[in-house]
Amino acid sequence: MRQHKLALCKEHFLDWIPEQTARFIKKYEMFTHHEKVLVAVSGGKDSLALWDILVRLGYQADGLYIGLGIDGGFGYSSESHRLAQKFADENGLHLHVVDVESEYGLPVPVLADITHRGKGRPCSVCGLAKRHVMNRIARDLGYAVLATGHNLDDEAAVLFGNTLNWLGDYLKRQAPVLPETPGLARKVKPLCRFYEREMTAYALLRSIEYIYEECPYSAGSKTTYYKELLNQLETERPGAKLTFYTKFLEARKGGLFGEPDTNPTMELHPCTNCGQPTSAPGLCSFCRLMERAASVLPGTSK
Amino acid sequence: MDAPGKMVKLILRDKEYEVKPGMTLLSALEKCGILSESVIAAREGELILDDEILKDGEVIKLVAVISGG
Repeated sequence: MRQHKLALCKEHFLDWIPEQTARFIKKYEMFTHHEKVLVAVSGGKDSLALWDILVRLGYQADGLYIGLGIDGGFGYSSESHRLAQKFADENGLHLHVVDVESEYGLPVPVLADITHRGKGRPCSVCGLAKRHVMNRIARDLGYAVLATGHNLDDEAAVLFGNTLNWLGDYLKRQAPVLPETPGLARKVKPLCRFYEREMTAYALLRSIEYIYEECPYSAGSKTTYYKELLNQLETERPGAKLTFYTKFLEARKGGLFGEPDTNPTMELHPCTNCGQPTSAPGLCSFCRLMERAASVLPGTSK
Repeated sequence: MDAPGKMVKLILRDKEYEVKPGMTLLSALEKCGILSESVIAAREGELILDDEILKDGEVIKLVAVISGG
């Protein structure tokens, strides 16, 4: 690990990752051992590794798998589900499963298609559906915290994109912890300082079986492109990604972007359909999407 | 004069690359135009580091690390 000027054998690497995770959880005041954590599990390496680490650290962590109905010619969602369930079963853990098509009537790619949202890709509908379901399950089932497997490369790529476009509001809100607000669970990213390469190594060395195939809609995405660019930089300048992200967090904390805005001050209103907080009175974005879908295909659940 | 060694095969997803034995993994990846930061290499199931010397005729499996869209 050139970025840390550290070389570890397998055994010490597998201890180092949870130790560092525990340090980040404490440093950013993510959660305590007394709180129930819901881990958003996609079947990929990062989220399964996160679940594994939290359980090894003794946290009360259950999983949530959201079936998006993405096939891509190789059953992407069904295989992801199988691997998430396999991990849960092998480790005696509880996995909540929400299937978007079963609950709302249509799989995500069809929802995106019929509502013409997302410029030919279902990614924005996918993100919207996941945020809606994750928050609903966390709130309904009494989880204090929702943990996602975002790693340093994910965070650096988002930061890079937001910086390229000077998206001040997003820069103010990007943080390892988004505190809870009425109706919204606290969101945390315990892996935000680990390289994607480190998380891959952890998953492989722990023999965690994860979905290796990419989401069929991710090819050519901006995030992937930014990650590749940042990896070119990292190859030339080891540590560049970590410095980019951690110096951003320091600058943000120091007020470079104004008062850190992880706790939305805008007035939120309960959605008139689902009750989740939304910025404008009336329906939330997800329920508006479902309303539009229902107007195209009657029978779609709102 | 030594007989030339058998080429080393690097496999990344459905692509195969060949390099001469005796070079480091990092040099081999550079030669193939692959960023070392974007992959993890395994020899017979064991992860290997960038400074590992590649041997005659061996097969190195490369695991892509980038995910997400």
